[in-house]
Amino acid sequence: MTRNIRIPRRTVLKGLGAAGLGGALAPLSWRPLHAASVAPITIVINQSPWFDSFRKTVEAYEAETGNKVELDVNPFAGSLEKQRNSVRSREGQYDILIMNSGWFTEMYAGGFVDAITDIDPGFQLDPDLYTLNDTIYYNAQKKSLTSDGKLMSIPVSPLIPMLYYRGDLYEEAGLTVPKTFDELEANARKLHNPPGMYGIVQRGARGPATVSYDFYPYLYGFGGGIFKNQSEGDFTVTLNSPEGRAALDYYIRLAKEAGHPKTAANDQANVIQAMVTGTAAHVMMVISAVSQMDDPDKSAVVDKVEYAVPPSAPGLPTAPALGHWLAGISRNVPDERKRAAVEFLRWFQTKDAQLETARAGGVPVNAAVYKEPIAEERQYRWMKPLAQALPHAVNSYQFPEASEVIAVLELGLNRAVAGEIGSVEALNGMAGEIEKIMAGHNYSTGQLSPLQ
Amino acid sequence: MTTSQASARAATPPGSARSAAGHDASGCDASGYDASGRGDQRLWRWIAFAPALAMMVALSVLPIANLVVTSFQNITWADGQATRSWVGLTHYRALFSDNLFAAGLSNTVIFALAAVAGQMVLAFAMALMVSKIGRGRVLYRAIFILPLLIPGIVIGAIWKLMLNFDFGLVNKALGLFGVMPHDWLGSPETALLSVIVVDIWHWTPFCFLLFLAGLESLPQDVFEAAKMDGAGPWQELAYVTLPLMVPTIIVTFAFRLIVAFKVFDEVYLLTGGGPGTSTEVLSFTLYQRFFTEDKAGYGSAMSVAIIFLVSILLVVAISARRGTGRQP
Repeated sequence: MTRNIRIPRRTVLKGLGAAGLGGALAPLSWRPLHAASVAPITIVINQSPWFDSFRKTVEAYEAETGNKVELDVNPFAGSLEKQRNSVRSREGQYDILIMNSGWFTEMYAGGFVDAITDIDPGFQLDPDLYTLNDTIYYNAQKKSLTSDGKLMSIPVSPLIPMLYYRGDLYEEAGLTVPKTFDELEANARKLHNPPGMYGIVQRGARGPATVSYDFYPYLYGFGGGIFKNQSEGDFTVTLNSPEGRAALDYYIRLAKEAGHPKTAANDQANVIQAMVTGTAAHVMMVISAVSQMDDPDKSAVVDKVEYAVPPSAPGLPTAPALGHWLAGISRNVPDERKRAAVEFLRWFQTKDAQLETARAGGVPVNAAVYKEPIAEERQYRWMKPLAQALPHAVNSYQFPEASEVIAVLELGLNRAVAGEIGSVEALNGMAGEIEKIMAGHNYSTGQLSPLQ
Repeated sequence: MTTSQASARAATPPGSARSAAGHDASGCDASGYDASGRGDQRLWRWIAFAPALAMMVALSVLPIANLVVTSFQNITWADGQATRSWVGLTHYRALFSDNLFAAGLSNTVIFALAAVAGQMVLAFAMALMVSKIGRGRVLYRAIFILPLLIPGIVIGAIWKLMLNFDFGLVNKALGLFGVMPHDWLGSPETALLSVIVVDIWHWTPFCFLLFLAGLESLPQDVFEAAKMDGAGPWQELAYVTLPLMVPTIIVTFAFRLIVAFKVFDEVYLLTGGGPGTSTEVLSFTLYQRFFTEDKAGYGSAMSVAIIFLVSILLVVAISARRGTGRQP
């Protein structure tokens, strides 16, 4: 494959000058100081709380390199549909796909994204980049997300849920930051004073990845899980384990006794709204919502919200679920645009670019940023707990049919939260349906004995 | 001979009439066309009809045929290429054990019957009132049809705000009477009812317009005769207006029932099918299975099943209309 990159003289001179300066001051870095001038690219992306920071980072890239990037912004479900339509056509419309944890495996396994190192064998991953449970790699032979596979994507937003709590109320009541679920429940009960203040507001609605994503930190934090060992290809369903039951019983009890009366209808926007309007003492919310907490135009609780790693059962580590976003390059776009997409990702993963993201209200994917002075600033007080929690993040799905399993979980969990069915019936029912799905796709599966 | 047949015959030129009669009697027309001439005519008919037929096949038959074929297949993707494999009746059999489909079917039937019944009663009452009004009829008509003109997405926004637990107008209004706020869309007991109410609000104007047109076209001499015979308002309604309006009522009911059976936007925008399956409807189940879960084969089987169910409604509606047509 021949490279055909047009580099303006000014960029060459700037690059040479900078390289000379860099060479004089330090050993030659692995990272180019300036991205090459390349063809315009189009990125399909969702409208999420972190989108604005991504847009600003892209603007910084355009300003620095002179390259053009077009963003096609969509709702969550709309973004997936557009991506499917694009990658399944003869020639794709989008060069970079911003893929959610719920569907990136579908793109890898379906052969819809090219390995970055296949496009540019010289591509080097920034050593400080979070690999997020190695979800950026895919081993097609083993069908696994492991570092012995090819580099398929670059993280865009390392999203996990964190515990948001009202620091001012904690101080007034003399509470300490909860490390266990029991402590969280006790604190939530103490601050629960409806309708003005709810101890905790949960995201219990049925949606594309709503109640299931809210429930995972509890499920994993109690030592439960959905499958026995996905990485080893063992898809035995373990959802209806005693740990799973303890987690669901706890989640429902919290909602009923210290939570919001409409938990079963609350989506992400409702939960954020409850926090910023000052009617929630705690929420377990994706970290990207931090930008709204201190925004005086949106929040009534500016500087009052603090952040902590999600609690867990005694003796177990915190276990937030990854709800992250990855950037992959479509296989069905011209080579020139693929190479242009690589240039953008090469720039995007760097510490400097990610500092830009942080300053724009986003969540950096480069660990080096979390060691910078910025992490000490009050405005970025979420950075340290996030850096503590990220190494424990769990990837929930390692198979392309994840959307079918998510649909089962969304319905079953929502019914349990709404009180339509009990936790045992919900867990046994979901386990049975998930086993059926996995068996239908020829995975090695099974399930535990039903809970009584 | 009916009036229309007589008019048609009268309007036909003498030569043409002879030609038609000649064909019927002997197979050879008066102008000397023989059997091969009839063949030419038939050929020309087909040639003239072909573009319309081709268009219908391309736009209606082919997509549905493709849907039916896909309903017997599984589609999987590898290396960016789709692979289709035949699975026979597997998807159709799976429909019977799909709890979401069962919930969707049951809720759709409840939704369609309740919403359409509500719309019919309200719309008839409104149409009756407006038809009796002398002044301001245009104003009332404009006000009553307003919800019909509002896009579905705006209706979703309006009612999401109205029914909001924390600051919705409905709860605020009830609060004035000391009623505690209720989670209309998030409670399994009231979610479907709330969506039905929104649908009634949205579609009553449509029924109203049809009923008003029907009422305004009724023969006035019958009403005058009823009055002369001493019929009161209720007797006039029961023995004159309603019997005369039966054909309009049946057409409106059938039309609305078919459209209500296809409800999607209100459910998607207001409840997303939840909580649980309390507002799950067939179109939403199909959206979930076909689009979100990307199960094209199974989703196609579900689509065929829904088309079949709607077709039954259509046949019933046409039969009912024909039945009323025979009435004096």
